[in-house]
Amino acid sequence: MKKKRLKKKSLLLPITSVLIILAIYGFMVLDIDVEVPSFQSQSLDRVIFILIVILVVITSAKALKKYKDEKMGLPADDEFSLQIKYKSGYYAYLASMYMWLFIFLFRDHFPDIETLLGGGIILSSLIALIAKVIVKQLFNEK
Amino acid sequence: MKNRIKELRARDNLTQLDLALKVDVRRETIVFLEKGKYNPSLKLAYDISQIFNQTIEEVFSFADE
Repeated sequence: MKKKRLKKKSLLLPITSVLIILAIYGFMVLDIDVEVPSFQSQSLDRVIFILIVILVVITSAKALKKYKDEKMGLPADDEFSLQIKYKSGYYAYLASMYMWLFIFLFRDHFPDIETLLGGGIILSSLIALIAKVIVKQLFNEK
Repeated sequence: MKNRIKELRARDNLTQLDLALKVDVRRETIVFLEKGKYNPSLKLAYDISQIFNQTIEEVFSFADE
């Protein structure tokens, strides 16, 4: 049987590498500034930092699994994974639009513009992750 | 849509990974197919049926919902 291969080199690994480098850079910046945010005074910064670490860990684990699969000869993407990406991308985009709307509505509650933008970007990533999980589980549901 | 992939795989002593490699999809796709959480494309349904030397109708069937 002649197979038309849908093999694509995964972009996940280089993206993860960049994320890890950025995370290490973030640690260094924190270290140089000395002023490590405390839970009481800058709890929002702490939450954002924890979210970044969680996202980096999840992405790294996924990249490693994908890398192992590719080494075994499995494709990086197939029809199912592509459909998941398209569908979850659509829902994540819609949800992110509303999220940004709410962020700007409550902009007075954020200490500065960097926290607002950084938090928004991280929340967008989380929304994308959650959308992917939900779409995958409910793929055949009507 | 129901399918007999798990049963046929056991008959032919194939693991999910073996089948995934043969039809060039990710292992996760086979898992979701077996659970009935994903309806494959006609091409993939045909490829899977060919692996088991069956027709598409013998492997996949539409069930009333």
